[in-house]
Amino acid sequence: MNNASWLIRREFWENRAIWLVPAVIGGLLLLGAVFGHVQFGGELFRPDGPGGGVPSQVSLYALSGVVTSMFLIIMSVYSGWYLLDCLHADRKDRSILFWKSLPISDSETVLVKLLVGLIVIPLVYFAIADFTVLCMAFTLSLRTGYWAASGFWHPSLWLQIQGFWLYSIVTLAIWFLPVAGWLMLISAWATRAVILWSVLPPLAIFIGERWMFGTYYFGRELLDRLGAGYARHAFNLTLGGEGWRTEVLHPEGGDQTLSFPTTLWHLLDPRGFFGSASVWIGVAVGIVLVAAAIQLRSRRAEI
Amino acid sequence: MSPLIEARDLTKRYGRHLALDRVNFSIEAGRIVGLIGPNGAGKTSALRSLLGLTNYEGHLRVLGREPLRERTSLMADACFIADVAVLPGWLRVDQSIDFVAGVHPKFRRDRAQALLEKTAIRGSSRMRELSKGMKTQVHLALTMAIDAKLFVLDEPTLGLDLLARRSFYDALVNDYMDETRTILITTHQVEEVENLLTDLMFIDKGRIVLDCSLEDVAQRYAAVALSGSELEAARGLRPFYERRTLGKTVLYYENPDFARLRDFGEVLTPSVSDLFVAKLAGVTT
Repeated sequence: MNNASWLIRREFWENRAIWLVPAVIGGLLLLGAVFGHVQFGGELFRPDGPGGGVPSQVSLYALSGVVTSMFLIIMSVYSGWYLLDCLHADRKDRSILFWKSLPISDSETVLVKLLVGLIVIPLVYFAIADFTVLCMAFTLSLRTGYWAASGFWHPSLWLQIQGFWLYSIVTLAIWFLPVAGWLMLISAWATRAVILWSVLPPLAIFIGERWMFGTYYFGRELLDRLGAGYARHAFNLTLGGEGWRTEVLHPEGGDQTLSFPTTLWHLLDPRGFFGSASVWIGVAVGIVLVAAAIQLRSRRAEI
Repeated sequence: MSPLIEARDLTKRYGRHLALDRVNFSIEAGRIVGLIGPNGAGKTSALRSLLGLTNYEGHLRVLGREPLRERTSLMADACFIADVAVLPGWLRVDQSIDFVAGVHPKFRRDRAQALLEKTAIRGSSRMRELSKGMKTQVHLALTMAIDAKLFVLDEPTLGLDLLARRSFYDALVNDYMDETRTILITTHQVEEVENLLTDLMFIDKGRIVLDCSLEDVAQRYAAVALSGSELEAARGLRPFYERRTLGKTVLYYENPDFARLRDFGEVLTPSVSDLFVAKLAGVTT
């Protein structure tokens, strides 16, 4: 445990971008909130506006949803790059010979890097995103007057949002374990062109399968893993029904409606996620890939 | 007492190339051993095997452990500097001390700090900002502050100027070495280590061609400088190498009949450098 905490600290020393990038993004967003032209939800959410007092909780969902998902998208790109680079960079600059001169096992090293890529980096981004949302909500409340403020400051809503994002981070880490394992394996194995090597074999399998059998199973599975599959497994995506509320937006006329969950808990689907074979097959593949990365790490020194 | 390092039929292949070809040696505690050979002779392969950085064939025990399988526990009792340029550029000097202090049970922080205080290096500097000589000092301070039984150095002074080399070896001998420690140094520059070694191992083309303590060199090796008719006679005693110098030919012998050799003239003990040249040239021709 002691080693792990030092290894995590080490990753922060080496990769200052872990917190610098989200800090800069957060800073820019705050600047925008302070000086920018505010047109947040337009007139829709005003109690006296056309929305006719759409429940104010939607404004906080929207703010946190937009800001935090933006952070998480950038995070996933950064985290992918981190995992692809983390077992390669120290072989390239030969500093692996220094790290390996210390009594730290290769499995500790690899597992800590996996933990940083899948959990620590997302948590750092999330913490900064959350802080940014809080500051933006405060700034926007001051600038727009009472109607926004009434929407932003519900402790129970904040709690729901925290729960929602933490659930997302945990499930994302589990869902993307095989992808992370693959990136680390390439990182431990390739002598150069890690990006190319991470892409080529899946592409070759895809083309090979199509050429030999005329089928697309692999490509479909892969796209599902990288794309829509996550949301389908982790969340309850059926709109409406129990726990949902629908409001008519223009009481004076028109039939535009807005549906939103009364609490975010309705969106989470942990039972579906943890009960899905697809999730556990992914975990098994991920474990095999990470174990292979550890094996390679113990046999390879500098490039 | 069993030796600190024991290798039997140690072999390392890269594809079809044999970097180490059934090498046998053992190293006792308290020695300073030089593993000397030209570039590509197999020195680095030998060290990588000893340190658990690569797989190998054959029997190998270092401090009673099997290096590749037990590298983590081995590194608690052994330390190494594999070339001095391996400290990562982004690491700060004070961070490097914190880190090693954090993960190494036998690291003595006060000692590392005392060693660094003698230098002009600041804790806030990053490794990339330091000169090669300064990086060496940092690495040496980090390593010498570890209470290790075995200290392995691979071409430690590569790329250093003469002053930095001198102070490197001075620090090693004066501040570090005592009877509880063992040092293994590889180098292709014989002259800079010959005065500090207690044992010699010459390696060439993946084989050990000489393995001898310095005390034994005088009993095992001899050289005579001769000319004219005596030369022909002395050649009958089977020198393994001869070298022509100003008007004379120097003949080198291994385990010679010293009494008969003395009849030809003064019998000299070859220097390590001479022995190196003689042994390596003798093998290659």
